[in-house]
Amino acid sequence: MIDRIPSGFHPFVIPFLAGMSFVFLYCILGVVKIIYELSWAERRKLFLSLINPKYIYKNLRDIFLDCLIHVKLWKRNKLLGYMHSSIAFGWFMLIVLGHLEVFLFVPGRINLFYYPIFFNYFVAEDAVTLRGSLLFFLMDFFLVIVLSGIILAMIKRISSRLFGMRRTTRPSVMNNIGLYALWAIFPLRWLAESFTAHISGGSFLTVPANYLFREFLGNDLNMLPTWWAYSIALGVFMFVLPFSRYMHIPAEMLLIPMRNAGLKIRSARKGFARVQVLSCPNCGVCIDACPMTVNRGNVKDCTVYLTRQIRRNNERRIDEISDKCLMCGKCEALCQVGVEGPNLRLMQRATRSYRISPDFRDIDTEPMIAAAQGSKVLYFAGCMSRLTPVIPESVLSVMKKAGVDCTWMDRDDALCCGRPLFTAGRIEEAKQLVAKNEEIIIRSGADTLLVSCPICYKMFLENYHLPGIRVVNYIPYMYDLVKQGRLTLRKSDVCYVYHDPCELGRGCGIYDEPRKLLGRAAAIAEADKNKVESICCGGSLGSLSLNFQQRERMTKAALDNLYTSRADAIATACPLCKATFARYSDRPVHDMAEIIDART
Amino acid sequence: MKENVVIIGGGVAGMEAAKQLLTLGYNPVIVERSAQLGGHVAGWHKLFPDMSSAQELVKGLRRDIAEANVFLETRLNSLQRTKSVYTVELNNGVRLTSRAVLIASGFELFDASKKEEYGYGVYDHVITNADLEAWMNGREDNRIPAQPQSIGFVHCVGSRDLKAGNSQCSKVCCTTAIKQAIELKERFPEAEVYCFYMDLRLFGKKYEDFYINAQRDFGVHFIRGRVSEVGETIDGRLQIKAEDTLLGKPLKVQLDLLVLMSGMVCNPIAKQLADKIRLQIDSDGFLKSRDNIAAIGESNQPGIFYAGACTGTKTVPETLAEARAAALSIHTYLMNQ
Repeated sequence: MIDRIPSGFHPFVIPFLAGMSFVFLYCILGVVKIIYELSWAERRKLFLSLINPKYIYKNLRDIFLDCLIHVKLWKRNKLLGYMHSSIAFGWFMLIVLGHLEVFLFVPGRINLFYYPIFFNYFVAEDAVTLRGSLLFFLMDFFLVIVLSGIILAMIKRISSRLFGMRRTTRPSVMNNIGLYALWAIFPLRWLAESFTAHISGGSFLTVPANYLFREFLGNDLNMLPTWWAYSIALGVFMFVLPFSRYMHIPAEMLLIPMRNAGLKIRSARKGFARVQVLSCPNCGVCIDACPMTVNRGNVKDCTVYLTRQIRRNNERRIDEISDKCLMCGKCEALCQVGVEGPNLRLMQRATRSYRISPDFRDIDTEPMIAAAQGSKVLYFAGCMSRLTPVIPESVLSVMKKAGVDCTWMDRDDALCCGRPLFTAGRIEEAKQLVAKNEEIIIRSGADTLLVSCPICYKMFLENYHLPGIRVVNYIPYMYDLVKQGRLTLRKSDVCYVYHDPCELGRGCGIYDEPRKLLGRAAAIAEADKNKVESICCGGSLGSLSLNFQQRERMTKAALDNLYTSRADAIATACPLCKATFARYSDRPVHDMAEIIDART
Repeated sequence: MKENVVIIGGGVAGMEAAKQLLTLGYNPVIVERSAQLGGHVAGWHKLFPDMSSAQELVKGLRRDIAEANVFLETRLNSLQRTKSVYTVELNNGVRLTSRAVLIASGFELFDASKKEEYGYGVYDHVITNADLEAWMNGREDNRIPAQPQSIGFVHCVGSRDLKAGNSQCSKVCCTTAIKQAIELKERFPEAEVYCFYMDLRLFGKKYEDFYINAQRDFGVHFIRGRVSEVGETIDGRLQIKAEDTLLGKPLKVQLDLLVLMSGMVCNPIAKQLADKIRLQIDSDGFLKSRDNIAAIGESNQPGIFYAGACTGTKTVPETLAEARAAALSIHTYLMNQ
């Protein structure tokens, strides 16, 4: 292999070079800006993780598996997985192998940025290298892989349903330019390499094409225009990248180390939030995931449109989208990149200022502390259980049967756990309630806080500091009692379908215990969508602006999903889910506590 | 031979219509799914505003329609139209043909257990308006204490409640609550009686007088504000939390009995019928009249007529008047055919 062009340069590389330099500069400035936006503690955390071998390994592994191989996507949808990994990994391998070729055959050119990309133009085959050698074969092989991915991408654009996506995002202008440039890059590369294959050599894809073209065209006049076109396509893609969804490619490589370092979204737009927004690939998985999009409604309120509007600084739409969300967390759970849609919204809500703010600091907790004292187990039912008095009644009855001495903390006067204020973005007010409740719980003398409402449970777990006190949800607690033999369940013939409440399932990761516990008391059927894909009942406190009619449609859609199980009755573990479903359900809706109480 | 007119539902609407149709020379056939005629009214004790007996009203109607054909404990298997004739098949094998069908399927009481926060079916001393009427008619009910000290009424249970899926006002519950409050006060003069309302809609003849009587002569307490929650104290009494919106203060009251004024929702049978012969359902969930002002008793299908609470919430006198009107409409329709 020898250098064919003595100068090692041709003007056609300029579009690529310009584009690449632009992206490089943009990304470096972007990283500097984002690092600057982090707090001192966050920066320290990030930098310490970047020099820790454990984190280095984890970051590299995650970047390789998520960004190149798209393992998560494979697990969810093989066709989409193949499409993405063929383009990403194939392209990556073309770049790596290109560098290897330069390194092996023309090591003097390794310092030239563009050389590996346009290698086949600049070299000529000599007697030393073998035609169709391994590297040439691999280059053609990965080009085929990428081209197959591009063909799939084109088919997907025509019919996303073939790929299992009911709805997909409407591309913006910049996304379309980027898309067509990306589609053009690889066929052009194939053409360009084919036109020069009789000079530079090639393999099974480029050599036959070269014979074919020369047979038809009879000259080499097409060689330069295709190399120009290839370079221009690359250049266009690079220039559009920062302003299109393809920004997720570099952004995700920053997102992964930041997430691994334990950074949290603390601002609506800056720092880690900015990385999250830029990492959104606009794939639209969140559209099908979102419970609000039933009957084609509210599509433009999904996370993919939130990130798009944040990038456009459309304040009115950002506010609307942030307020509407039910905060069920399904978009985040199903997002391949892990964009934290609910947290972005929460921080947006937290930017508001209210003219009137309640002040809870003067509440006298002494009577509540007195009422909470007396047992080692303190039971908190939560405000929502006022709508479903059966739940606390049943929990207490079960505890009595199991011989657990238990005091009902909010039987009479009680304070809210703070979660509704918290999800509304009124974090300071929520903290006042948290402080009051912490005082009551700690001074009650209890060592266990038993919580039946998953909304409160999540709040207690994540936002309370209760040293020495075990915070436990009633489902695992009851399951433990059953395992210890303190509760004996009689199995009934009724078949239940268990609905995973958002806050308990996706919120706290409790999926198995309810099924195990219910399995001892009744027969179980599963709904079409369950566990992490469970559909919000529509009653969520998370939304600040959805009206009843819209919620009703969501509740009915969630019920239709539960009906697919053909179960006789619905079991759930959240007072709000129960109250919401009971309004429209054609079959009984029971809380887990009721079922367990009835079968002991 | 006299011409058949099939009447679906043997409540006061169906009976009154049958009575009029008999007079007009038809052969009304009542199809009733329960074991007796009279519908909801047969389960009630006294009717406002004159405290007349519900039983006497039903008895009188039963006497008047002695000559009519009545199928009790019977349901419709099918209802079909061929040209201008309806064929009705009953589950006892009887097949009827009729050129006109009157739907008088009435309402169903809102299931108070759907408003779980009021504790119906959860706590021992929570009953509905219909339970109270049945008790006053002599049915045993151990949820009602022998000597209650304080009694509460919750208005608008499942009425005017979007969360319960019903936006309509049930019309009669305000006055029924006042009537029942007076009746309980008469039986238990020592008891304090509280009515928790959001509005009092006392539109009918003498209803306002009734309200004044309840306050002035019986000392019933009217509190504007909905009950937010019902709990049970350790000694088994009910404790309710509400807000007095006129005073702007939250309040807690302990009660021995809580009566929920369950509202009216359309009888699900009406919806099944609507599916069979393509009748329209109005936005409130009741059957849709051809015109809500000029033709409330007529449907969008020729030969199908409506009377009573199948088209919306009604009082007894309204229902009776509609039944009479429907009989006349049917007569005119059949004469002109």
